[in-house]
This record gives sequence, structure tokens and C-alpha cells, in this order.
Amino acid sequence: MRKILLRYSPEKSSEPILASVIKDTGVLLNVLQAKVNSRGGEIIVAVEDDERVPEIIRTFQSRGVDAEELKLTTVLNRDACMDCGACLSLCPTKALHFNPEYRLELDKEKCVYCKLCIEACPVRALSILSLE
Amino acid sequence: MRKTVQEINEKIKRGEAVVLTAEEMVELVKSKGPEAAVREVDVVTTGTFGAMCSTGAFLNFGHADPPIKLGGGEVYLNDVPAYTGLAAVDVYVGSTSISRTKGLEYGGGHVLEDLVSGKEIELIGKGYGTDCYPRREIRTTFTIHDLNQAILCCPRTCYQRYNAATNSRDETLYTYMGMLLPNYGNVTFSWAGVLSPLSRDPEYRTIGIGTRIFLGGAQGYVISEGTQHDPERGMGTLAVAGDMKKMNSRYIRGCTIPRYGTSLYLGIGIPIPVLDEGIAMTAGRDESQLKTNILDYGVPSRERPVVREVTCAELRSGKVELAGKEVPVSPLSSFAMAREISETLKRWIEKGEFLLSEPVEPLSRERTLKPMRMVERLVRVKDLMTKRLITIGPDESLEAAATLIKQHNIDHLPVVEKDRLVGIVTSWDLAVSLGTGKKRVSEIMTRKVITANEEEPVDVVVRRLEQHKISGVPVVDGEGRLRGILTTDDISKFAVRR
Repeated sequence: MRKILLRYSPEKSSEPILASVIKDTGVLLNVLQAKVNSRGGEIIVAVEDDERVPEIIRTFQSRGVDAEELKLTTVLNRDACMDCGACLSLCPTKALHFNPEYRLELDKEKCVYCKLCIEACPVRALSILSLE
Repeated sequence: MRKTVQEINEKIKRGEAVVLTAEEMVELVKSKGPEAAVREVDVVTTGTFGAMCSTGAFLNFGHADPPIKLGGGEVYLNDVPAYTGLAAVDVYVGSTSISRTKGLEYGGGHVLEDLVSGKEIELIGKGYGTDCYPRREIRTTFTIHDLNQAILCCPRTCYQRYNAATNSRDETLYTYMGMLLPNYGNVTFSWAGVLSPLSRDPEYRTIGIGTRIFLGGAQGYVISEGTQHDPERGMGTLAVAGDMKKMNSRYIRGCTIPRYGTSLYLGIGIPIPVLDEGIAMTAGRDESQLKTNILDYGVPSRERPVVREVTCAELRSGKVELAGKEVPVSPLSSFAMAREISETLKRWIEKGEFLLSEPVEPLSRERTLKPMRMVERLVRVKDLMTKRLITIGPDESLEAAATLIKQHNIDHLPVVEKDRLVGIVTSWDLAVSLGTGKKRVSEIMTRKVITANEEEPVDVVVRRLEQHKISGVPVVDGEGRLRGILTTDDISKFAVRR
């Protein structure tokens, strides 16, 4: 699964571009995070089929939305983590969660790189790395 | 059925004692009742692992040659200031002391963790020189093995229960209860719940001064009731101490609480001897019977308003309901580590490596937390604010605004419509509007105005001015009516008078 960041200008924010891209490409896009209003904004979508990513990006770009693949990864250093849970309530997508043993786990696929957990972690066990 | 600590210790020595963690005890009491639990169980082990800001350590370095009197001088450990108001070569380093160069990224808590891990620590010391201690400066490195003693001391820990936190304001707060998101966006709490030692023995029948405990991976002791011990409100605390040289860095972790300070996560476990049915009952209480309050940390006062009462079980579930909305919860103390500590202590006792002790003295049961005695009258916004109101309407011209600002020699012009504050225009706003073609006040005014209330302490508003990088706030009442204006000029005039 790969993630694409879409940046909408104010002019494009009122057009149904996301829906039209899904309809025309037939690829299901899972919205991980959306912050858009009449002044524009950003949407992060996840694409299940890796091979279709370049096509999706091209389609958005041809319709005036700035699209780029997010080549980032969030890393949880299990050796440093003490399972305090300070990050849990800050995580907007529950990418960070407890397992039944109250040990912290990170579901990288759900992460939208908001970085709230990075600052909140009292022992600096979380970081975001660029894959490039 | 009644048992004594001596009888239980005999069983421990014979390897026959039945030990349960507090979580296991809760299940047993639920299924068989407290009476059976006394017959079947000898010891219940507890555990807690949270930020314990009052933790620190007394270190003794031995003497240099020629000797130096660090006492009354200055000492930095990895650039973190240590307290030197002790004898010549003793210092105290506390977990909240902050690095001179790294700020909140490294503090006394990190020094303590590094010490316990066996890492080298840099010591810079300054003395004033005496006949017996002629040396004035020293720079060296040491590890915990080089020290004569390293005594970990925590004068307040093991809160019997502690309030949970949320934030009503429209900005994120950075508190000792962690990051609190705007508009009741999350709840945080720091409580080991069923594993919390004093919650298992709320009448302090078995835990007292002299009780042997698990402390930082070694054996330590309860040395006193803790500071702010508040048994009358069910918020008892303990003071503990132990030999740091025997401790394990898994249970001593330096930490940074974001934009608040440095601290130390410390692991503590206390065994509860199951002497009778009463103890079995309290040791077997589940988290639905443990209650605390969620307080609004958005109110910067000692008396923070209670948002609602909550059970530990709800907090543990990861979400609570606030005003009809489901709000995510962060524990701040590690339940997994607390459980690990209770299991470790259980193993120690089962193997006969850890014997129980009877308290030398009981903890006080009649004490309540007193506030600080304040002898100076608190300065409030209403004491300093300018009450003579110069205002303008949103439809008036920029020329009219400029004239008012010049006439009255002011920088802030509140914009008022029908008695209500609707915006603010500053001399800066007027300057940057030059040449833009804008004509009306409403076109250039700031609509989202940072305000203050007459009753707020001035210090609180000063912090708000700093945070928003502004030089004045209109003072409004509950209905948004303008009552005055408080500017940095008003505050500095007062500071000079004082």
C-alpha cells in the first residue's frame, strides 16, 4: 500500500475531483486524512494497488491537483518505548495502539505523518524517516 | 482467618507462599470472594511505572587531590546543574534539573538513567577554596561504580489515585499531564489502577515507614509518608529511597514531557501481605470501583474545575465520554511495565529472594493537602488595565482610526459594534494597509481577538501575550462586552513601580 498527498488550490477545492478520479480510473482510494475547505487544503489517500500509483498521480495532476507520493515511514523503536501510551490519544488514525498486553504497536499503513506523537514521546522512541 | 507477616515470611522461606499479582487477585476475589482469597493467597504484588518528578539522587564522589569543596559551589553532571548545598563532595541531582546546553532534551532524569546504565558522566565542579579544600575547579568523568554511594530518593510517589486531565481551551496545552488537545480533544491520566500499591491498601494497614519494596529493579524502602500525602481525599503518597548501584536501567528512564520539562519514569512495586478478609477485599477491588475526576487544565488556577467523575476502568478502555462525545485517552504511566514489575516482584517472593517487612511506623491517616501561604496580594488584570476606552466601529474609515491612535498615543484600537468587541486594529495593521486601497476598519481588523478577563492574574495574561507575540489584549466580560485594555506598557509601568 502506498500513500499520495493531494494539495488543493482554493479554485479546485470545490470541484469533485477525488470522486471523478476514482470513477474514471476505477481505483479505490482510501482517504486517510482530509483538511480541505474553501481556501484549499490537503488530502492524504492510500492506494492498495501499488502499480496504479503513477497513473493516479498523473490523473490528479491533469485535473489541476498537485499530487505526489509520500515516501515517508514512521519508526517505532521498541527498545526505547516504555509503553506509557502518551502518544495514543494524539494519534488521529489510531495507527498507534495497544495490543491486548498493553504494549504499543504501530500500524504504519494508517499513519498520516501528523508528527504529534514525535513530540509527545517522552523517550523519543518515535521518528519519521524519508524513504528516498 | 488471620495471618501475620512472620507466618507469611516463614512460608516464603520454605518456598510455599502463594503469591498473586494484583490483577490475578482481582480475578480470584471476583470468582471466590475475599474469604476464600485470604485462605488461598499470602501476598499480592503491585507495580507502578510513571513519571515521578520528585525523584533525585544523593551522590558521593570521594575526595580529589588536592581536595575541593563542592558544597556551596557549583556542580554540573553532563551539563545538568546539581544541588551542592551539602557537605564537600556530596551532591543531589534531581530529575527536573535541565541541561544548560540541551534544554528540555536532557535533564537530571537522563543523568540518573545514564548513571544506572553504567555510562560515563562528565563532572564539572567549582568551589571557592578554603584552607582545608584549596582546589577551586575540577573536571573529570565517573561512572556509578566510582561513587561511594548513590542513593535514589523520591519524596513523593505512588499516588493512591490521581486526577485525569483535559483541556477546554481552543489551543493545545503542554502540561505535566502531557499534551492536551484543544476543545476537550483528549484525556490523559497517570495511574496504575488495580496495580497501584496504595489503592490495594487504602487504609495503610500493611504499607508504612520501613516497608521493603521493589524500587528501580532493586530492593528499596518506604522512608516516610510522601510529600502532599492527602489521605483525607484518598490521595495518599509515599516517600521512598534505595541503593541506586543495584538498580536496573529498565526501571529508571529519563524523559522529556513536551514543552514542560524533564522527569524520570521510575518503577516501584510493593507487596501486600494478605493478613485478613479486609485486606483481601481492598486488594481485590477492580477498576470499576476506583474513581477519580477529570479536571480542566484549561483553567490556569490551583482549583481546576471538575469536568466529570470517571472510573479507572473507563480510562483504561482508551476512551471516555465528555459532553456526549467520545474522547481518546492516553495513559501516561505504563500499565505493561507496572504489570511486569508486579510479576517480577512475585517471582522474587516465590523464590524466597524477597521477604516482607512490617512497618516500623504507620502512615498518617489524618492529613490533608494545604495550599501555599500567600502573603502578597495577587495582581489581577483589573488592577492594571486602562479603563478609559478609546474604540472605533467596523464601518469607520482608516483615517478615523489613525487619528484616534495619534490623538490618544495608543497602539491598540478595539473595534466595537453594538456594545460587543468584534475586532482589533493596531498601529501596525494601519501601517501595512498603506497603499493597499483598503478603506474600512472591518477590512484590516483582526477578528479573532486574543482577550483577557478582569479577574485573571496578570502573570497568566503575560504568558498569553508572549505565546501569541502580541503587545496588548482587550479585557472583556462573559458577554463579550469591552471592559478595558491591558498592554505591555501597563504591565511594565507596574513592574517599575514595584
